[in-house]
Amino acid sequence: MTSAADTVVILSRLQFAITTLFHILWPVLTIGLSLFLVVTESLWVRTNKIVWYHQTRFWGRLFLLNFGVGVVTGLPLEFEFGTNWATFSTVAGGFFGNILGFEGAMAFMLEAGFLGIMMFGWERVPRAMHLLATSMVALGGSMSAFWILVANSWMQTPAGGHMENGRYVIDSYLQAIFNPDMPWGVSHMWVACLETSLFVIGGASAWHLLRGNAVPFFRKSFLLAFGLAIIITPMQIWLGDASGKTVFAEQPAKGAAIEGDWDTNPPGRAADWDLLAWPDKEAQRNDWEIVIPGALSFLATGTLDGQVKGLHDFAPEDQPPLLPLIFYAFRIMAGIGFALFFLMLWTGWAAIRRRLTPETIAQQKWLLWAWVASIPLGYIAVDMGWTVREVGRQPWIIYGLLRTSDAASALTPQSVGFTTAVFFLIDSLLLVTFVVFAYRIIRKGPDLTLPAPSREPRKLSPDGHRARASEI
Amino acid sequence: MDSSVHLFLIDVWLCFLGLFLTFYVLLDGFDLGIGVLSLFVREEHRRGIMMASLGSVWDANESWLIVLGGALFGAFPLVYGVVLNALYLPIMVMIFALIFRGVAFEYREHAHRRLWDYAFGIGSLIATLCQGLALGGLIAGPTIVGERFAGGAFDWFSPFSVLVAFGVVFGYVLLGATYLIVKTEGDAQLHAIRTAWIAGALMLIAAAGISVWTPIRYPFVADKWFGNGIVSAFAIPPLFAAFCSAMLARALWKGYEHAPFAWSTGIFLCSLVGLAASLYPYLIPRSVTAEASAWDSRTLIVIMLGMARLIPVMITYNAYQYVVFRGKVSSAHYGG
Repeated sequence: MTSAADTVVILSRLQFAITTLFHILWPVLTIGLSLFLVVTESLWVRTNKIVWYHQTRFWGRLFLLNFGVGVVTGLPLEFEFGTNWATFSTVAGGFFGNILGFEGAMAFMLEAGFLGIMMFGWERVPRAMHLLATSMVALGGSMSAFWILVANSWMQTPAGGHMENGRYVIDSYLQAIFNPDMPWGVSHMWVACLETSLFVIGGASAWHLLRGNAVPFFRKSFLLAFGLAIIITPMQIWLGDASGKTVFAEQPAKGAAIEGDWDTNPPGRAADWDLLAWPDKEAQRNDWEIVIPGALSFLATGTLDGQVKGLHDFAPEDQPPLLPLIFYAFRIMAGIGFALFFLMLWTGWAAIRRRLTPETIAQQKWLLWAWVASIPLGYIAVDMGWTVREVGRQPWIIYGLLRTSDAASALTPQSVGFTTAVFFLIDSLLLVTFVVFAYRIIRKGPDLTLPAPSREPRKLSPDGHRARASEI
Repeated sequence: MDSSVHLFLIDVWLCFLGLFLTFYVLLDGFDLGIGVLSLFVREEHRRGIMMASLGSVWDANESWLIVLGGALFGAFPLVYGVVLNALYLPIMVMIFALIFRGVAFEYREHAHRRLWDYAFGIGSLIATLCQGLALGGLIAGPTIVGERFAGGAFDWFSPFSVLVAFGVVFGYVLLGATYLIVKTEGDAQLHAIRTAWIAGALMLIAAAGISVWTPIRYPFVADKWFGNGIVSAFAIPPLFAAFCSAMLARALWKGYEHAPFAWSTGIFLCSLVGLAASLYPYLIPRSVTAEASAWDSRTLIVIMLGMARLIPVMITYNAYQYVVFRGKVSSAHYGG
């Protein structure tokens, strides 16, 4: 392979990394917040209490901004498989392309088809129809996550077919969809969306509580986010552990890279766990390490002396690159999972001590500031998790079947370099502007004077004129 | 599996692709066309009305591009890889432009309004031009060796593809203007009617130019069109397009509100049918047929059954959204 082709592969990987790491920040909140809105709107429809309507409208404003940026940052991804990874598309399109096709037709269209009604249709459709629209948007978001993770998990643990004349031919769609990584990949990511969103909602509410703004309103959203976090935070730790065990079983080289583990433990002896280390691929060892003897077998296999394959079992060209990145990205992600769990426990302790009542909640300065500080943590964990997942899969684009270096398009380094730079600039601009606008929306707070929409949607007059639907 | 069954499945898939392409071109066509038109509108309020007419639908319109891409990726992966590889720069620049024009809907409510109005207008124009350049580049037929693209980064660029790009811009502006006739009233509507006249005339000139130039430049098209004599089935789309154009002129003259959009749609349908008939059975002219790039019958059946169920559902809730937001736009804010 010529060096220009090598450069194209590296630049294409960089471009895909940039576009996905930025893009995923928005769907995370789209998926979690839309479900939160289903909860608040259902509470409004059931109880008819105006506060739940105001909750839905206020957080809905943030949702709309977030959704728009999520849509446009996601646009490149489907096309990049063709533009930058033409050989991958040709080899895997029969399965992979169809899964993306279903994602578009089933999930994306569902979201897009009901988004207008959800955001702007308050005065135009009955309450039940509006709740249905909100639910469909939420369903679309979650289905989208499902199909994308199906496609991605198949790249991690391909199943249900075989290679034939340079094509991956599917024998069983069910097996391909329900590949070994899929249940854990889907659920770990979906729960990550919920968890991140809960701490965004709880953190923004805590910020207002600290400032003493609309305390009854933000206490409600804070407690709702906390209540859901009681279930979600421990569940995510369990899912993370289970999906980690799947990695060790199905992608041993990735597992070894995550833990900086070089040597397979002999039968009957537990593998040592490196709490911290600096894996050095060139030297094929760790430059330094802090070892907890015997712990890795239990972490990786659930048994006290289970076998954990080390990186030395794989030829260097079959080992993942960038070992320290994988090692530390994993530790940051897992650390955040535990930090959010402990924040939930701390909040629970405060609730038991009756410190979260309407009169006392605003005095819990440390606790509330911790929630504010937790707003970015879920996002960081998600990006770190994807880094581990995707860099750890290397050097394969389809694990064990097709190398990333063989999958790229015939392009010039100039073309890919140009687009990579533009994507980086555009995505950075979108992230900065999004943060500023989202901050403004949150700072402005809810409009507590907004009347609930009338029970009956306004009838159109014959010439099509109508009163303006409620302003956003 | 029987090869005639396989060929039938491939034709079914080509129909799906045609359907998705038609939905995309018509729906995002008027959407992008309104964007281009907004560049020629001085009053901020009127630009706001134009964008508000798209607020509830632009996202769904653009989603047809994702569906189209997914269907092509799944059923004809080789074409997906090779074509997107060959058209790398126009596709990528189109995506950059779509990002700016898409995010402008929301951002203009939060930030410097005129700046994001420009992002919306210029983004729409560039995205439309890129689609035309990509189409021109596709008709030219990318160079393929084995199963890989083997041409240069700028092969898609030619005077012919520039003409196609202008044709697409005028066509989208026509769709956008006739859509605005439906959604606006008063001065804004009169302005839309005038624009529709101009865009329609320019589009017809471009279309005539493309129709004459294509068979001269590409002998395989000439063979197809005139191989059975001047009078053949290939004469139907241009004749019907001429009829639609005449009816469009009449509708604009009489001041009808809905008919101009319908007849503009007719012109587009004729162009798409003409294009498809000229290329069939090739998906990449002269090198890759649909049959050569299609996946096996089993895959085609599985996804066909899935898509066949989804298509009516998708159309239903898209249509429902248009029904909910029918009538004139009365506010210059996102979603009015």
